[in-house]
Amino acid sequence: MLLIALRDLQWRRRRFSIAVLATSLVFALTLLLTGAGNGLRNEASRIVASFGADAWFVPEGTSGPFTASSVLAASAADEVSRLDGVERADPFLFMRSTFGASDPIDVNVIGFRVGGLGAPRPEAGRAPRGPGEAVVDVGLGADVGETVEVGGSRFQVVGEADGVSFNFGVATVFLPIEDVQALAFDGQSLATAVIIRGQAGATPEGLTLLTDAEVVADMRRPMTSGLQTIDFINSLLWLIAAGIIGSIVYLSALERARDFAVMKATGASNGPLLAGLALQALVLSGASAAVAVVLARPLEAGFPFSIEIPGSAYVVLPLVAVAVGLIASLAGLRRAVRVDPALAFGGA
Amino acid sequence: MSDLGGPALGDSVLEVRDLTVEYSSGGYAVRPLERFNLQVPSGELVLLLGASGCGKTTLLSALAGILTPTCGTIHFGAIDVTHLAGRALTAYRRHTVGIVFQAFNLVPSLTARENVEVPLLVAGVRGRRARDRADELLDGLGLADRRGHRPGDLSGGQQQRVAIARALVHDPPLLLADEPTAHLDYVQVDGVLRALRALAAPGRVVVVATHDERLLPLADRVVHLSPGVDAASHAPTRVTLKAGEVLFRQGDPGDLVYEVDDGEIDLVRSLSGGGEELLERYGPGRYFGELAPLFGLQRSATARARTPAVVTGSTVADFRSRVRPGAGDEAAPR
Repeated sequence: MLLIALRDLQWRRRRFSIAVLATSLVFALTLLLTGAGNGLRNEASRIVASFGADAWFVPEGTSGPFTASSVLAASAADEVSRLDGVERADPFLFMRSTFGASDPIDVNVIGFRVGGLGAPRPEAGRAPRGPGEAVVDVGLGADVGETVEVGGSRFQVVGEADGVSFNFGVATVFLPIEDVQALAFDGQSLATAVIIRGQAGATPEGLTLLTDAEVVADMRRPMTSGLQTIDFINSLLWLIAAGIIGSIVYLSALERARDFAVMKATGASNGPLLAGLALQALVLSGASAAVAVVLARPLEAGFPFSIEIPGSAYVVLPLVAVAVGLIASLAGLRRAVRVDPALAFGGA
Repeated sequence: MSDLGGPALGDSVLEVRDLTVEYSSGGYAVRPLERFNLQVPSGELVLLLGASGCGKTTLLSALAGILTPTCGTIHFGAIDVTHLAGRALTAYRRHTVGIVFQAFNLVPSLTARENVEVPLLVAGVRGRRARDRADELLDGLGLADRRGHRPGDLSGGQQQRVAIARALVHDPPLLLADEPTAHLDYVQVDGVLRALRALAAPGRVVVVATHDERLLPLADRVVHLSPGVDAASHAPTRVTLKAGEVLFRQGDPGDLVYEVDDGEIDLVRSLSGGGEELLERYGPGRYFGELAPLFGLQRSATARARTPAVVTGSTVADFRSRVRPGAGDEAAPR
């Protein structure tokens, strides 16, 4: 029966190829959306980890340094640095601004104390050593030595950092904190958080201590509905894939009803017939998963933010594809079981 | 009889007793076979002759163990076909019966050889053994050079010979052929007829259902499943009926056309769920029951006297001579 199933696929190869192409596009999209969701989840943890902090002090009542607009005096960092267990403390300032003059785009701007915690580690160039210097996200396309405009002020690019975008893939610019204070608060010495290294033995009045994990969770909160949407669309895509595979297998069962009747009339039981149909579903879904892995690469470039397809997705995809193929073929299998062998006696 | 799993049934006799098959068609009970009897000794080729719808295919389906009759029995040798179920039925279909279908019913995606191999693969015969058996049969039927061709590349006659090879793959002692020449021209028919005749040898019963009278010389026995049309003219037969008395029953052979002389006749049709449906009521001067004798069909309804009645039955030939053109269902005065 497996021979018949494979021969039938060869016989209807054009339809099979179209089905594989359509299903593989759907599978590729599920891979990319999985990668997109993964990328969004990772960007928060990645940027927080990049600061090398052990904890964050934020104004009391504030949920996190990247989501709230409450500020504290930058001098609070000095007070914190005197706490027992604190090895180092530096002010940190986050704001949203624009990048470029003629066609500005949104960027995250992070202000750090030169030489302190939160300073960027660029892939190219160096970290800023004083006011007027910037490290920019490689995604912004600005080269080292170039002068760029951030929030209406001009800065010289001294370094390029990779993997520092966050807030749904928005690129990041690192500036000395004094420059960010000038942009955001007219030069007032304010910060949104104090980054510390070490274990603070106490919490100064008016401040709240957050761990890296709490900061990450706070950053992910606004993404919750976005991630849920991605998961929902992913589920719909699996359904679409199931629909395509199911339709192909059902159509095959309909068209081969006479063949099944003849085989039943000549002593074939349902088992081998069903195995043949299920094999077709498996071949279709397996081939589609394989093509999807190849297709996902070029399609990835079209996404505006980081697509990070986890290695496990490449293992899960064919497994889920096989499961989807089998479930989708149930209607076709049911149809095959119901074929009356007496149908074989009909005329042409 | 075969080393491929076939049963050793020796010179088995096919015996059909009081076979009745009833099924529902459009809500009506249809009985293509009623109290049918047949006995065929080994080595004979039986021709089931009759028009479409007379029950030929129904009988073949029952013989093949595909259709369960309403009542009656089918025995092939020691096998009680009508009471087979489960694995025994599968084994019967697989090893005891070979079927040649009307429309060839070859799998279009498979080559001739693969089509013949399929029943062997189903039965668990694999690899070279299955291939050699398929080649042996195809070669024997003159298809050695067509083994690797798909059905679409074969002529009708070649396809039918592949179908015969497939039916013979387990060397079955009972071979059933449904309209084996229906799709063949006279050139192609020759090879198929020779093959069928040669197969009716001791140790095998061959049953062929057809309406093709070219096959008549092949047969050891001919069974007419349709009532013949009586073309001869006979004197009209006058029948007196009591109220409630049946003139003819649904499924009876159609012989005469009836005209009502006196009283009323109801034409009723059996319903599949039981009961009857009144189709028409006929009074004096009207005629009924002409289609069955005209076209050699079975009666499609029962005629029963609603009141005491007198009817006159005429042969088709006699009736034709009396019906006025454009008279509808009223006969001309005698």
